[in-house]
Amino acid sequence: MSPLHHPDDSLLVDYATGALDAGARMVIGAHLGACPGCSTTVAEAEAVGGALMSTLPAATMSPDALALALARIERPAPAEPTPLDGPADWIAVPTEVVRAATRRRRWAAPGVWVAPISQRPGGARSYLLRVGAGMSVPRHTHRGAEMILVLKGCYVDGDIRHGPGDFAVNDDSVDHQPRAIGEVECVCLISADSALVPRDWVGRLFQPFVGI
Amino acid sequence: MSPSSKITGVDGASLSACIVNIAERGDREAFARLFSHFAPRVKSYLMRLGAVPEAAEELAQETLLTVWRRAAAFDPTRAAASTWIFTIARNLRIDLSRREARGVPADDPSQHDSGPAAPDDALSSVEDEDRISRALATLPKEQAQVVALAFFADKPHSEIARDLGLPLGTVKSRLRLAMSRLRGALAERRP
Repeated sequence: MSPLHHPDDSLLVDYATGALDAGARMVIGAHLGACPGCSTTVAEAEAVGGALMSTLPAATMSPDALALALARIERPAPAEPTPLDGPADWIAVPTEVVRAATRRRRWAAPGVWVAPISQRPGGARSYLLRVGAGMSVPRHTHRGAEMILVLKGCYVDGDIRHGPGDFAVNDDSVDHQPRAIGEVECVCLISADSALVPRDWVGRLFQPFVGI
Repeated sequence: MSPSSKITGVDGASLSACIVNIAERGDREAFARLFSHFAPRVKSYLMRLGAVPEAAEELAQETLLTVWRRAAAFDPTRAAASTWIFTIARNLRIDLSRREARGVPADDPSQHDSGPAAPDDALSSVEDEDRISRALATLPKEQAQVVALAFFADKPHSEIARDLGLPLGTVKSRLRLAMSRLRGALAERRP
């Protein structure tokens, strides 16, 4: 089933131009793997990129550039790392996410685990969050923006239901307590500009441990 | 040029055929032709994005080496040669800046490139590239400006808006108009 909630076109164009930071790129890349419609939009924007690149005046290359290139293609290609597949019931994710899921899970609360994927000096971070069926995350808001993609299961945020492949952006204007619904656990891939801002004592207790 | 070579021009169709020939029979002559056409343009693109000439040339070399190694993954019905090579250059640039920023080790950032495409939706081929080029040339100036900045300034919408002193909404709507016009140009050929 195709996702129902999509990144807006400006994010898709930013993806195509290469302007997104690593975390946003990863989240939107995972959405594209699940969404033929958004993939088409990105492919169209990439075609614009290719056409624009073709219109640029040719830069001068070093005199031996072609000879060097012809020598390089004779060298054996280094073995490409084999990509790791995630669980079969997840939306497809890149190897670094699969690796985090298997090696870096941290217990956060009953039924909840977090697996950090990356953390940058400015506070930007990406991570996986798993919440058991029927459970809520503590009430919180955000500093800066957060992008979230459902890899498995469903959650509701207010009245809106998010299922596999669905994308959402949250910022400091939302104050919410999303809840996993349905029969199975909910696993999400998240990229955030900075840490969550907990709004209740549960969150304030649990946040320092898990680093989200 | 050897008389047996069927490919002589630098139009989109023959550039695509060069990649197919590399995939099918390791055609070094086709590679040389692709290199001569694209390497200087990839270098220009990277210099527009702020790379110094030496670094831009090295990435252009890497880009064409990747074209050689991954030629079998190129599907001429899905993308023009220029589109495919643009995405390779873009991805290599992202990988490089990530390594320089000493982030986490990078995996392939564009897993969707190898992901499933809906064949009937997918962009096909070279007429599209011509249509896009023609449509780009007819865009109103303010739309052409944001399109060029989006691709050549390495900046997300929000920063482009700041640089131009325009509200974010204006930049978004100009880019949306431009993209829908370009999309309209592609739709002309569709039944």
